[in-house]
Amino acid sequence: MDIKEQEFSRMVREHKSTIYTVCYMFSNDEDEVSDLFQETLINLWKGFESFRHESKLSTWIYRVAMNTCISADRKKRKQGTKVPLSMNINLYNDEDHETKQVRQLHERIQRLDLVDRALVMMWLEGMNYEEIADVVGISVKNVGVKLVRIKEKLKQK
Amino acid sequence: MEELNFDEMRNQITLLKQKLDHQDIVNDHLLRETMRNRMGTINFTKIKSYICAGMCIVLYPLLSVTGTFSNAFVITTCIMMLFCAFGTYYVHRPVDRMNLMTEDLASVAKVMAKFRKQYDQWLHYVTPALIIPWLSWAMYEFAWKNAPEGVNHWLFALPLLVGAAIGMVIGYAWHRKAVNAADNIIKQIEEEK
Repeated sequence: MDIKEQEFSRMVREHKSTIYTVCYMFSNDEDEVSDLFQETLINLWKGFESFRHESKLSTWIYRVAMNTCISADRKKRKQGTKVPLSMNINLYNDEDHETKQVRQLHERIQRLDLVDRALVMMWLEGMNYEEIADVVGISVKNVGVKLVRIKEKLKQK
Repeated sequence: MEELNFDEMRNQITLLKQKLDHQDIVNDHLLRETMRNRMGTINFTKIKSYICAGMCIVLYPLLSVTGTFSNAFVITTCIMMLFCAFGTYYVHRPVDRMNLMTEDLASVAKVMAKFRKQYDQWLHYVTPALIIPWLSWAMYEFAWKNAPEGVNHWLFALPLLVGAAIGMVIGYAWHRKAVNAADNIIKQIEEEK
């Protein structure tokens, strides 16, 4: 492995939970989350060389993951070459208490539209409004307004 | 009560991330993508070899016209270049036929190991067997047979020797690059097992 690949592997290992969480919140089944995860990693790899560290690495990863999940053409993706990705976890079928908790979160977030899902996830992860605005490409003020509306939506059953 | 709801969501996302942090990712697709990048290095070496052989085949007959080398030497050189191009094609053929995105990794490793072995055999046996007689003949033609009278033959042969040395260094660097790429693919597959 050359240095670039080693760096990339390290980055993926460190941020795998963030990437997977984003993909999970935008998916409806295990296959879909795997597809999105693979596609996000490939997009990260493609952009890794040109990443100039002008923004935080975590912000860049979020942006790529969000863009991949929001813009993915699901129909096309399903037709592509399928190569299995393994992560020994099944968040859709496991029945332990923790997974049930996670599924509850998934159900709540799934009620929102795609951009709102992205916003609320970042907010729940504790990112500040500037970082969220940077990832989504809207103004900081707009982030605040949108989050108030999203919270209202979430409160409604 | 509402804030409690969001706190609960925050806890849930933390729980999810903790769960995921304990998982190992085996990303077959990514592995294959990086292998494909390395395969690009191997293919590039092949293309460079073809270009060199092609250039020699075009340029050496001109040296025959100028009287630098005999027709027999030029024809032999062109045949040798064609042989090298064919050898390159033969060694690369199984690698070219492989579809990295669908082929099982054991087969990929097998093909790459064979490729690496053949590449090394070519370097250790075929290259010296071709280069030593060819260079000796070239030196004889250039510095002895066709050299002006009264010159120091060895001094006259020096540019040829320097050129050959540079060519060998470049050739060896290309060889190492291709072999290293093959080695990396094999190593990466083994690490994933």
